[in-house]
Amino acid sequence: MKKLKIFLILFFILNFFSISLAEKNDQLKIKISKNLRCVVCQGQSIYDSQSDFAVSIKLLINNKIDDGLSEAEIYEFLKDKYGEWIIYDTSFNKKTFILWGLPVLLFFLGGAIILKKIVFRRT
Amino acid sequence: MGLIASVLIFFLSLKSYKLKTIDQQIFLISFLQLFFVVISFTSLIVCFIISDFSNETVFNNSHTNKPIFYKISGTWGNHEGSLLLWLLVLTLFLFLFLINSKNELKKYRVLTVTFQQVIIIGFFIFVLATSNPFNFLFPIPIEGLGLNPILQDPALAIHPPILYVGYVGSSLIFSATLAAVIENYISKDWAKNIKIWVLISWIFLTVGIMVGSIWAYYELGWGGFWFWDPVENVSLMPWFCLTALLHCVLVLEKRELLKSWTIILSIATFTLSMCGTFLVRSGVLNSVHTFANDPSRGIFILCFLFFLITISLIIFFIFNKEKQNDYIKINFFSKEVSIIVNNWFLMYFLSVVLVGTLYPIFLEVLTDHKVSVGPPFYNKLIVPFLIFFLLFMSVGPNLKWIKENDIANKFQLIAFFFISLTISSLIYLEIGKINLINTLLIAASLYLFIVTIKDFFSKELHNFPKKLSHFGFSLFILSILFNGIFSSEAIFNLKVGEKFTFKNEKIFLKSLVKKQKENYQSVIGHFTIEDDKKNISLFKPELRIYDQPIVVTSEADIKTTLFKDKFLVMNKIKGNEYFNVRYQVKPFMIWIWISTMLIAIGGFLSLYYRVYEK
Repeated sequence: MKKLKIFLILFFILNFFSISLAEKNDQLKIKISKNLRCVVCQGQSIYDSQSDFAVSIKLLINNKIDDGLSEAEIYEFLKDKYGEWIIYDTSFNKKTFILWGLPVLLFFLGGAIILKKIVFRRT
Repeated sequence: MGLIASVLIFFLSLKSYKLKTIDQQIFLISFLQLFFVVISFTSLIVCFIISDFSNETVFNNSHTNKPIFYKISGTWGNHEGSLLLWLLVLTLFLFLFLINSKNELKKYRVLTVTFQQVIIIGFFIFVLATSNPFNFLFPIPIEGLGLNPILQDPALAIHPPILYVGYVGSSLIFSATLAAVIENYISKDWAKNIKIWVLISWIFLTVGIMVGSIWAYYELGWGGFWFWDPVENVSLMPWFCLTALLHCVLVLEKRELLKSWTIILSIATFTLSMCGTFLVRSGVLNSVHTFANDPSRGIFILCFLFFLITISLIIFFIFNKEKQNDYIKINFFSKEVSIIVNNWFLMYFLSVVLVGTLYPIFLEVLTDHKVSVGPPFYNKLIVPFLIFFLLFMSVGPNLKWIKENDIANKFQLIAFFFISLTISSLIYLEIGKINLINTLLIAASLYLFIVTIKDFFSKELHNFPKKLSHFGFSLFILSILFNGIFSSEAIFNLKVGEKFTFKNEKIFLKSLVKKQKENYQSVIGHFTIEDDKKNISLFKPELRIYDQPIVVTSEADIKTTLFKDKFLVMNKIKGNEYFNVRYQVKPFMIWIWISTMLIAIGGFLSLYYRVYEK
């Protein structure tokens, strides 16, 4: 059993390194297109959509990856062209810090209130 | 048709004097009200069935050659009809409340009815002013425009009514809470009674959301079941609130704590349901689920909502005198504290979803800057907290009310914790591609899984519904996780006679079959998939070209087994004979639905016990 486990671990590690470049590019392509909004559809990602727009963006991603651009560079390019709206993964900047911060702030506020109430009641 | 519209106005006036009258009369009038709404709803259904195109709603949303089932479901597949359904459920609930609350304080009952009537009147005005389902069309058109084909589906036929019962149930909780606040009746007895209504709406909301996502899974055609889409979020928010309320009412019932909090939660639940209606109906949202919208309607709901919130807040601040002298001692290791923690986390999840849904709208209005808040946002903010939530959920229910001091019990819990931690790290080592946070999540949900299973065996039976629901929840998280981690898919283009190899499976497009159906043409692709053991299975995904309106939809073919779903869908590529084919293997898919059903069944059993006990 133990041998098998070690074998499996080694197998997967080796596998991990031997993933070819093409496959890596494919995965990157899927990852990027899943994170992009199809701006002409209603709430669909580029990956899921079959619209002309989505198809052309998928081609564009292909070309950019072949050109050797990184993931971040491709996002940057699309952001300039179509606006921040196209990217699902909301970035953290001065326009969105409330978005990210507010829930967490509320969480701690809630925690503080609860703690205070319980401690207060005990004394 | 105009006649029925006038009937609607007629009993608007009837309701106004309901305030001071005695019970018998209220009863009668409520019955009349229900009766009239049932009449108008039935007549709308009849209009749809006989395809009476002199009615504008029918004209816009129906067609003569649509199957009879979808003619009926078309009644609530549109804005006007669905509002009438909303009204129907509102009045029905009120009527049921009247029947079931005979033993309660008279003043409380009357006040509840009054508040409920305010809501009903509001919706009547809304229906009559902005969306009358009985508008007359002349000259009478010969043919209707047809129902959006994507809505012509059995799951979506039952989805709106179920969800509406959930939403509307919250309105009754809202009215009853306000009445109880005024009468100073927030107490153990009240909690006992209101819990039935909370359970009813909770069950329906749970099932409603589930049916909606089942529909999204097989009909929208890309294999996901939850997209963190605004409309989905809008149904999830009242669910969080209601779940919190469900637990909070327990504390109220057992220990008479958290009175104000219960009130706030009831108000919030209803507000969120109303908000949901507003956001969906007004077209503010960009979503896969918005099918009809009109800004003028949104404004009405918004004003009405504002009005209700103001009233409820005024009532809350004037009448709610929580006695500051009830210094009941709370021990940190007790069930009530763990329920408070549960509420705390649920409120956090709620706030994530709420902020995530509303923030882009506000940002766009205020700064004209558009951002997307997509799935990554929710995952990042919810998942880490979910781990702790699950841990609390495992330990909490095992604590006793007031104070816990059972050492053996604690030891057992810790032991289970290490077991689940070990299992998940084993999974982590074996598979390797899971990231750390998912591993922790697996550990946490496994922990809940094990603890609840242990509870099934070792303890007395009386809390069975709760255990079932909690067990369902752990199964739910586990199956979503494994589904997410182990899913694999391929997208490729094929034409007839071509093959594609995906991992160890060969996908072969054998032939195309064309068929003419009642209201659409269908093109069925015959695919065979051969795995490495030479087992061949046949898949028949379908393209449907609907006549009225002309829309192409693709129907996936899904082969479900206990361990995995195989999902195949095809799309036409413009201008050539190739089809875009998407093949997905999704493990444990069916367990997501089963576990949700378990959660709901738990609620149902609890309801059953309660009614039975009475």
